[in-house]
Amino acid sequence: MGKEQKGPKTKRFGMVIDLDKCTGCGSCMVACMAENNVPFRKDESNKFLSLTWLRIYKLTNGKPFPDTDICYLPRPCMHCEGHGGHSPCVSVCPAVATDYSDETGIVSQIYTRCFGCRYCMASCPYHARYFNWWDPVWPDGMEKYLSPNVSPRMRGVVEKCSFCYHRYQLAKERIFIEGRSEVEEDEYQTSCAQACPARAITFGDLNNPKHAVYKKKKSPNGFRLLERLGTNPKIYYVSSREWVRRAGDNYLKGEGKLKESVQHG
Amino acid sequence: MDSALIPKGVKRCPLWQFALFIGAVSAVLGWGVYAMLLCWFKGLNQTNMNDYYGFALWIWADLAVIAIGGGAFFTGLLKYIFGKDDLKNIINYAVLIGFICYSSALLILAIDIGQPLRGWFIFWHANVHSMLTEVAFCLTCYFGVLTIEYIPLILENRQIDRVPFFHHLSHNMHEIMAVFAATGAFLSFFHQGSLGGVAGVLFGRPFAFREGLLVWPWTFFLFTWSAAACGPCFTILVTKITEAVTRKKLVKDNAIELLAKISGWMILTYIIAKTIDTWYWAKVLAPSKGLTMMDFYSNNPLYGIWILITEIVICGFVPAFILITKKGRKNSLALWIAVTLAVVGVCLNRWVMVLQVLAIPVMTFDIWAMYFPSWQEIATTILPVAYGIILIALSYRYLPVFPNEAELNPLEPLPVEDQEPSELLGDQERELIPAEA
Amino acid sequence: MKIDRRCFLSFVIGGAAGTTLSPLPWKLMDDSSIWTQMWPWTPVPEDGEISYVDSACSLCSGGCGITVRKIEERAVKIEGMKDHPVNDGGICPLGLSGLQLLYGPRRVKHPLKKVGDRGSGKWAKISWDSAIAEIVKILGKLRSNNQSHTVGLISGSDRGTVPSLFRRFLTVYGSPNLMRTPSLQDSYEIVLNLMHGGQALPGFDFENADFILSFGSGIIDGWGSPVRMIRANSIWRNTGAKVIQIDPRLSNTAAKSDKWFPINPGTEAALALGLSHVIIKEDLYHSDFVDNYSVGFGEWKSLLREDYPPEKVAKITGIDELTIVDLARKFARASKPIAICGRGRGNTPGSLNEFMAVHALNALVGNINKTGGVWVVADPDYIDWTEPKLDAKAVSGMQKERLDGAGSKTYPFTRYSLNRLPAVISSGETYPLQALFVSGANPLYTMSDTMAVREAFAKIPFIVSFSSYMNETSQLADFILPNHTCLERYEDIPTPFGFPRPVIGLSRPVVEPQFNTAHVGDVIIKMAKEMGGSIAGAFPWDNYEACLKETLGDRWDTLIKKGFWSDSRFKAPSWNGSFDTPSGKFEFANNTKGFLPQFKPVGIEGDETLYPLILIPYDLTRLANSFIGAPPFVIKTLEDTVIKANDVFIEINPETAKALRLREGQYALLSTPKGQARVKVHWFEGILPGVIAMPTGLGHLGNDEFLDGKGVNYNQLVGPVEDPGTGLDKAWGIRAKLAKA
Ligand SMILES: Nc1nc2c(c(=O)[nH]1)N[C@H]1C(S)=C(S)[C@@H](COP(=O)(O)OP(=O)(O)OC[C@H]3O[C@@H](n4cnc5c(=O)[nH]c(N)nc54)[C@H](O)[C@@H]3O)O[C@H]1N2
Ligand SMILES: Nc1nc2c(c(=O)[nH]1)N[C@H]1C(S)=C(S)[C@@H](COP(=O)(O)OP(=O)(O)OC[C@H]3O[C@@H](n4cnc5c(=O)[nH]c(N)nc54)[C@H](O)[C@@H]3O)O[C@H]1N2
Ligand code: SF4
Ligand code: SF4
Ligand code: SF4
Ligand code: SF4
Ligand code: SF4
Repeated sequence: MGKEQKGPKTKRFGMVIDLDKCTGCGSCMVACMAENNVPFRKDESNKFLSLTWLRIYKLTNGKPFPDTDICYLPRPCMHCEGHGGHSPCVSVCPAVATDYSDETGIVSQIYTRCFGCRYCMASCPYHARYFNWWDPVWPDGMEKYLSPNVSPRMRGVVEKCSFCYHRYQLAKERIFIEGRSEVEEDEYQTSCAQACPARAITFGDLNNPKHAVYKKKKSPNGFRLLERLGTNPKIYYVSSREWVRRAGDNYLKGEGKLKESVQHG
Repeated sequence: MDSALIPKGVKRCPLWQFALFIGAVSAVLGWGVYAMLLCWFKGLNQTNMNDYYGFALWIWADLAVIAIGGGAFFTGLLKYIFGKDDLKNIINYAVLIGFICYSSALLILAIDIGQPLRGWFIFWHANVHSMLTEVAFCLTCYFGVLTIEYIPLILENRQIDRVPFFHHLSHNMHEIMAVFAATGAFLSFFHQGSLGGVAGVLFGRPFAFREGLLVWPWTFFLFTWSAAACGPCFTILVTKITEAVTRKKLVKDNAIELLAKISGWMILTYIIAKTIDTWYWAKVLAPSKGLTMMDFYSNNPLYGIWILITEIVICGFVPAFILITKKGRKNSLALWIAVTLAVVGVCLNRWVMVLQVLAIPVMTFDIWAMYFPSWQEIATTILPVAYGIILIALSYRYLPVFPNEAELNPLEPLPVEDQEPSELLGDQERELIPAEA
Repeated sequence: MKIDRRCFLSFVIGGAAGTTLSPLPWKLMDDSSIWTQMWPWTPVPEDGEISYVDSACSLCSGGCGITVRKIEERAVKIEGMKDHPVNDGGICPLGLSGLQLLYGPRRVKHPLKKVGDRGSGKWAKISWDSAIAEIVKILGKLRSNNQSHTVGLISGSDRGTVPSLFRRFLTVYGSPNLMRTPSLQDSYEIVLNLMHGGQALPGFDFENADFILSFGSGIIDGWGSPVRMIRANSIWRNTGAKVIQIDPRLSNTAAKSDKWFPINPGTEAALALGLSHVIIKEDLYHSDFVDNYSVGFGEWKSLLREDYPPEKVAKITGIDELTIVDLARKFARASKPIAICGRGRGNTPGSLNEFMAVHALNALVGNINKTGGVWVVADPDYIDWTEPKLDAKAVSGMQKERLDGAGSKTYPFTRYSLNRLPAVISSGETYPLQALFVSGANPLYTMSDTMAVREAFAKIPFIVSFSSYMNETSQLADFILPNHTCLERYEDIPTPFGFPRPVIGLSRPVVEPQFNTAHVGDVIIKMAKEMGGSIAGAFPWDNYEACLKETLGDRWDTLIKKGFWSDSRFKAPSWNGSFDTPSGKFEFANNTKGFLPQFKPVGIEGDETLYPLILIPYDLTRLANSFIGAPPFVIKTLEDTVIKANDVFIEINPETAKALRLREGQYALLSTPKGQARVKVHWFEGILPGVIAMPTGLGHLGNDEFLDGKGVNYNQLVGPVEDPGTGLDKAWGIRAKLAKA
């Protein structure tokens, strides 16, 4: 945690997810699992036990046939900034096993530090955190596809979306070798954004006017999930449908039109 | 057989009966230990917890035993700091109950974490911003204090006391007990509070989140207050149960009544504060996040508004009013009801403040999470109860827990025909020494 | 011994300090933090040099380019190939899970020969040489008994070098019975053949279209080339193109469209004709195209005028008159409107009338062979082998009528009609099938009325499967000759269905073959060589790779370098001279060929009183439904309202559910004339009352433990309904009933 920092040196990586384009196809989910060595089990239908760093929620407008509408909403970790890096989960972890990076705005998770108290899970209203209830087991031979860039987690610890942080590390290594100072927008892209056939996910530095997310996050149709709680998430959503935007947060009956989304930092 | 160990001037059941009782409770204990080992060796998949319900029965049991174990620090505070000397007759038992509660809490915590071997990271890599760190430190220190408070009682066992080293040790410890009582009260204030803080700081969970004073949310103070208020009720309740089981009067009424009266006023003030807190939350805090109070209760059969009514009215105002009136305190049945309700109330509060928090969907498109504990969780939660019963039975049998017992139950040789044969046998070796005044 | 306070304190402090200073607690702490992250059962992936290999995915017919990341010799991640004309970096969940198939438990690791009863799952390993020798022996015997035509092949595709090698083999061997697994491609091919002339596939220039009218096609649910379609859908969001979905159910496609019109299932053709009626009546059609480049219009027009006025169509379809008129106007006034059909993913061919009625809309507005329109893409011409020499046995075998009746007098325009095969085998009317080869297909799972298919196939004395993976069909085979997976082999991937420009992708070995498998192309060549004579003579290549290189010619270098080849010079043919029909023009109707696009209700199986509901399937991109069952990652993405534990949910309108007293999540017994299944009920507002829907792609058996037994195979509950003119399956659902279980 630290002070809210601004200026070109401080990056705030984040996403803008276009829900008008998202088809709910699930590629982002699988891209994430494949990239990050996420294990699987025989029965994954209990969604309260299924490790999915990125989960797609199916929203419905609640109207009867034929006025029914549905919308898919992919939910990675929001990498909440809270106020000055005081994200809901980071501040509660007793062992500093999860941290807010002032340099990148990424909320990290250190598996070898986590001792599995699950307090961070209780603190996250987005259910972005997952506990390893079981030892990860890959069927014989399948461990061959495991990536060395992301260590498989042991039973008893919490894991979550890392914004594919290892890709940032690799990119930094590359620019270091090439003697450059800046990781370019296309050099650091997350696995989910890269895979999405609909190009619904845009990833980049929210602070950098040269990055696509900088402009996209300001869309008049933009919103963030549960903004009113002060979590200050770094995932922005865009939807042209009023009911979808409204589903992003809780509103009292009388509360009329949606407010313009508040921009933090 | 074990009469040499039994305090002077009191009567205990025959050893075989005692052994049978301990055996039966140990079987339950063994069941709990088996479940505990399963959890340790196979992992937390043995529970019915899940990613939504990441805190469950155990955490509730933890918070609950700590709350009701609050009788120890509060009674100690009253006796040693505020000089309520009447309480000296119940302080031993309060300490014992507190010791049981806190050791249980630590044991449950050791089962509840996903990587028990890394449990010490909480101290080593402590995050000073985390309420749980505060809890861990204060809890552990306070457990140390309770141990120190409990040790002199053990040393007072007839046989141990004969060893001069232990005799002097115990004497020295008694002398500085006020220091420990003060330390204990201080530590308790913080860990009870930080347990409240655990829920209160969750700003992503509008059901639990509270603003507050300095770095602490209001729940911090409410938890301390409620533990101080209801902890003594648990001490009274356990004392009453022990009296019922042993069919003896063990503590003088003045001690019980004093404790009950103070408790009553504490509960009353607490529940008024809690009502104000609830009102402010429902009227100001929750709506500022776009939620109405009924969003947290309706729509679900289990987590209905009945919880709030039970907690505040039935388990709050009702016991408070019973305990603050002389008539209520003096009426045995009313007292029983009041202390039971108070204990239920504070346990319910802990359930609500940590578990209902998790059950409630915050994202508009999310769902209520339901959970029912697995047998392993139930067994490990009953484990400390069995352990507590055993420790109480052992302490009661061999240690002078109740200083008034001999006085209240003078030993008169019973007419022979009234004695059961077993008792006759058991009495053969017994030294009949008159009770000390 | 007297203890004073000092003594006591030093005792306590000394004890504590002593323990702390001893190495014991420190050592234990250190050890415990190491132990807890080094459990021997948590794998530590080996690090090494990173490399990337470009290849092509062939887990479905989408034809996507992929880039595989490797660490030394291990493939660790599949990604979409950037700048590939089909998918440009995008990729679907199945493609992403390819490594779970490559390294997974479903692989057939060795050639296997059945021992014990068929389907008993008992196998013996056999060497490649003996397996091929045994098969060649059986083939030789059949051929010498003049029964070469009783050998059949079911293939997932008929384009590209591998299917062509199969076709060549069957031809010189003497069997006409190559059957392609059915799909919307069958119907579209016939439509193009009749209306445009020639053998071709439709190409839809979706990316440049501005109005898409979909008659139940799952644009983002797996129709066409799945990734490309999702990309197109996003392009429409950017350009503001309008998408209209006609669908009895709020599919994902319907939800993403600009307007969803629930329609009575099976009446899509009527709607298409109703729209044409309005367009013609209001003179909104493209007069230049219609007047100068088409024939049969007048005939068709009078049929439309009589039979398909909006008020009548409204009654049939359940879509109101005003909507029909409005929709027709919008479609006709759009500058580049495209109408498409083929329900869901397009796994069933459907009724020819429906396809013609829908395609006629494109012609009516003149959006044929134009930017943003429907193009005619001829079959790829790179496979240009010399005609093989046939010996007498081959000639006589090839003269026999096909078993499935395709190309016969009854079904003159049909190329393949696999759905007819089970009934043909069971009836025993023609000749019996003596041997069956299956490649790139899993008919025992994908064909409707699975039980009947199983019974029919059980009658075939000899079955050989070339599947890389264990599946339903392989379970019933006598031999399994496992092909390399697409990550271990070379293979050309021709233009995917619907893509408007010719493109060839290249699968290439990303990793060494992991097991004792062999390229199916090599196996064909080897079998041919062992058969000897003119059969051997038709296969001059040493091996498949040599054949592929020679076939691709100078395209090979491009393919190796870029990973794909596309015809940059390709342009949509102009209206002039592009129609290969007898009239040389687009034919709306043709009396001599006997077609006239019209609506003939497609009766589905089942008695309405016994089966008051209608069961339709629905497809999901998240659920692979081709011949390859979903790998674990894909299954993991399914919602808990699709499958829970092993129970599949059927979707039902809450009104219908209430009438049947079925609660959300309750078990129910689903019965159709074809079978029964225990399902769970999911209330879904987005489905027409009286209709229930079930996901396809579940209910596998004999694949792997992550897939088997999950849910129910929809195909098991439905039977084919034969389209009279084509023999193709046009079933769009089946009557059903639900009862509390
Ligand atoms: N061959 C060789 N071995 C060496 C060295 C060497 O130079 N050569 N150097 C040695 C030295 S000096 C060191 S410090 C060690 C370093 O060794 P390690 O500590 O193993 O360091 P890395 O491999 O860089 O990263 C470990 C893992 O952390 C993951 N990770 C990255 N960011 C995060 C995050 O935010 N949260 C979590 N939970 N995980 C994250 C990475 O993906 C990676 O899987 O190696 C030592 N070993
Ligand atoms: N891109 C990238 N950068 C990283 C890291 C990463 O993972 N990726 N890891 C970071 C970490 S954890 C670390 S520790 C640092 C390590 O960074 P460095 O400390 O730069 O480590 P080395 O690359 O091992 O280089 C040490 C140098 O010391 C020399 N040397 C060897 N023995 C001796 C000796 O006895 N005396 C003297 N004078 N020189 C000697 C070696 O030849 C070598 O040139 O790198 C950091 N930087
Ligand atoms: S991959 Fe893209 S389109 Fe598919 S579900 Fe994810 S965000 Fe949506
Ligand atoms: S989404 Fe949850 S896990 Fe991620 S930063 Fe926010 S609170 Fe933490
Ligand atoms: S579960 Fe792990 S990361 Fe979460 S709060 Fe506990 S120690 Fe920290
Ligand atoms: S950013 Fe990376 S870790 Fe996060 S959801 Fe996407 S793929 Fe997964
Ligand atoms: S759409 Fe088909 S070809 Fe493309 S990646 Fe998916 S499975 Fe492979």
